[in-house]
Amino acid sequence: MTDSLLSRRALLRYGAYGASAAALAGVAAGWDRLTAADIPGRDDGSLVIATLGSAFNPEAQRALRDGFREVHPDIRIRINPVQAYDWSDFFSKILTQIAAGTAPDLVYVATEGVQLFAQRLGVPLDRWAKRDAAELRTYFADVHPSLVESMMYEGSLYQLPVEFNAADMYLNSRVLERAGADLPDDDWTHDDFTTLLRAMKRSNGDGFTPYFWTNRLWGGVVPWLFANGTNLLTESKAPGGDWLWNSFYPEAQRRGRGGGYRWTTPLADSDRVAEVYDYLASLVQEDLCTRPEGGDGRNLVGVFSTGRVGATPAGGFWAGGLHEAGMKPADYDVRYFPRWRTRRHQFGAAGYAMLRTSKLRDEAWEFIKYTARKDVMTQLFAANQTTPARRSMVDEARYRETGPAHWQVFYDTLDKIPTTGPIPAPPQVNEVEQLLIKHTGTALASPGAVRPALRRLQGDLEKAMEREV
Amino acid sequence: MTNTEIRPVGPEPARTRRSRRNRGTGRTRKASESTAATTIRTRGTRLLAVLFLAPTVVGIVVFTVVPIVGSVVLSFFQWDVIDDPRWTGAANYREILTDSTVLVSFRNTLVFMVLAVALQLLIALVLAIAVNGRMPKWLRSVFRSAFFFPLVLSAASISVVMKYLFNQDFGPVNWLLGTVGIPSVPWLTSENGAMAAVVLAYVWQQFGFSFLLFVGGLNNIPQEVHEAASLDGASGVRKHLAITLPLLSPTLLVASVVGIINALQVFEQPYVLTAGGPGDSTRTVVMVIYETAFEQLRFGEASAVGVLLFALIMAVTALQFRLSRRYVHYQ
Repeated sequence: MTDSLLSRRALLRYGAYGASAAALAGVAAGWDRLTAADIPGRDDGSLVIATLGSAFNPEAQRALRDGFREVHPDIRIRINPVQAYDWSDFFSKILTQIAAGTAPDLVYVATEGVQLFAQRLGVPLDRWAKRDAAELRTYFADVHPSLVESMMYEGSLYQLPVEFNAADMYLNSRVLERAGADLPDDDWTHDDFTTLLRAMKRSNGDGFTPYFWTNRLWGGVVPWLFANGTNLLTESKAPGGDWLWNSFYPEAQRRGRGGGYRWTTPLADSDRVAEVYDYLASLVQEDLCTRPEGGDGRNLVGVFSTGRVGATPAGGFWAGGLHEAGMKPADYDVRYFPRWRTRRHQFGAAGYAMLRTSKLRDEAWEFIKYTARKDVMTQLFAANQTTPARRSMVDEARYRETGPAHWQVFYDTLDKIPTTGPIPAPPQVNEVEQLLIKHTGTALASPGAVRPALRRLQGDLEKAMEREV
Repeated sequence: MTNTEIRPVGPEPARTRRSRRNRGTGRTRKASESTAATTIRTRGTRLLAVLFLAPTVVGIVVFTVVPIVGSVVLSFFQWDVIDDPRWTGAANYREILTDSTVLVSFRNTLVFMVLAVALQLLIALVLAIAVNGRMPKWLRSVFRSAFFFPLVLSAASISVVMKYLFNQDFGPVNWLLGTVGIPSVPWLTSENGAMAAVVLAYVWQQFGFSFLLFVGGLNNIPQEVHEAASLDGASGVRKHLAITLPLLSPTLLVASVVGIINALQVFEQPYVLTAGGPGDSTRTVVMVIYETAFEQLRFGEASAVGVLLFALIMAVTALQFRLSRRYVHYQ
């Protein structure tokens, strides 16, 4: 044993080390430092609202916050703009917040996530909607029932839609002019569309893409499936919802409505789906459109505004984007998506969902109601970055500066084509979208790949739909 | 030569230094006291060493060991973030080992690793030798900075730019190829093109790290060895093959170990450039982990894939060190 040989000097030195360490620890413990509790709004009883960061610009965010405070000075709110690439990315981040124990009270949710949130996390708004029916009557009278139905799940209402976008077709006027073509009729078909693409290709030379599309759930293959009278998953309506339809919509508008959509059995290996893929494969083969992985919406405004793209599916949200890119209303126009067996269009809508974890439910409802007000929506959507869910807001004044000439198409897609419906978005939507993107890429990558890819898509979708979410 | 003239290379052992110093001062302490003082000094040094290492060790335990153990445990549960985890035994492993997407992702990752690491090391080595040659000092600094620069950029932002560059219809890469008569290449829309684009984007960003290692390694090779070879009439290529590479082998080992570990965890480039497509042709293991966990909310299965990837990385690294005994030469 050597301890007995510890010298006095060594003992003093170790004592000094110990005292220094203790002093340092004491200083560190007493240091006034930032903690998670210092984040503004954290644990201070604020109503926390998670929005998709890019959905509203900072000025609109401020207007939303300050305006609500004026109306409800007793409710403290905190807007949490979550930056995300797309809805799927946004949901992942929200779920991470929930897992971390910092769940917001309200989340801005698009059609893609309505059922996922409703089934696992959402609170039905039925009792508040019934309670404040008188107050909401003007809202529902101004909003197409299809949008409301898309926000219902198994008979209950989970969101008040504030915006939507249907997949209509944007056409570049300069490109049409070079092709010697006129703006197509309202009732144009997919054959007319092919003919137009060929004319565009002939007259616009190399480096030009007649049709640009992105491989995703909205605006990808699905609008073509809708036009051909089919879908990715069988579609039906849940029972219930009469409480809402009978309260807010006239007889003509509530006919055929239910308690929200159900998407169940996959249809990927059906003949009609294959027909759509064969058509798109033929367009790819003829070099009339982008390949699935080639289409990336991020530079789409740039290539469209510079005349390197002739046509692309987009909703009202694109008017604002093209305006910012310097396009004048006369430089482009919008038409319905070309018809095939049907004229059915797809749309996606969005609104605020209340989370079960929220302890401020009454306050959250007040915020939901507030965001559905016309004056608030007018401030939020001033830049035309989307199509407002209120019909009365889609008017000439809104599109005078930002075009296009046929802006009526945006809301008419709902009003004049009653079959128009939401993106197929069951609770398993994330996996469904992933599989669709993956197998569409394979199906259109090489000639003759359509059928085998669709068979694999069918098998994978069946597995995904059987999976409990 | 007598035994007293033989001295070991490198620093002398502490005990030797200490005993010599004792002799020099002419101290006459007893042997036992000397041993005790040595023990105390050694203990003090150890304590200091432990104090310095402790923060890092705590960091590794908290941020590496605990998550690894957590992932292993989670791989035996079904967990979707929202509800409590449910024990499922080895079901997750059975599921992923029969999942074609997971198996394809492992194949893709290995193919990517081989292509990316080989290309990265080759480019870095050639450029390091070139930069180490005769050129003005300022120009050398310019090259060193330029080659290292991509490494400090975010992989995701580089990938966004690359996606534009490789776009088949509008990308500058195809435009440049077109100017010399090469037809448009489907970089991101064909299986081989997509893998090539992902590898190129990755290598462009990563080779700077190996390049810096090689520059350091080359500077450590004694100039006189090259001069002796020149006097013996060795050509430039011969000198590099017979002298540079063997003497650089320890650096090559480090660069390849780090390169392989990084390549096996590739995520940003395929995620942004191709989203794993067309089909699954560029889907990597980490992409599958991300998609399974954060998009499909199957954290147990994602953890199981993560555990398999961890085992693969450990196995490949162990194999490299095993092989290094044969091929790595230390001076």
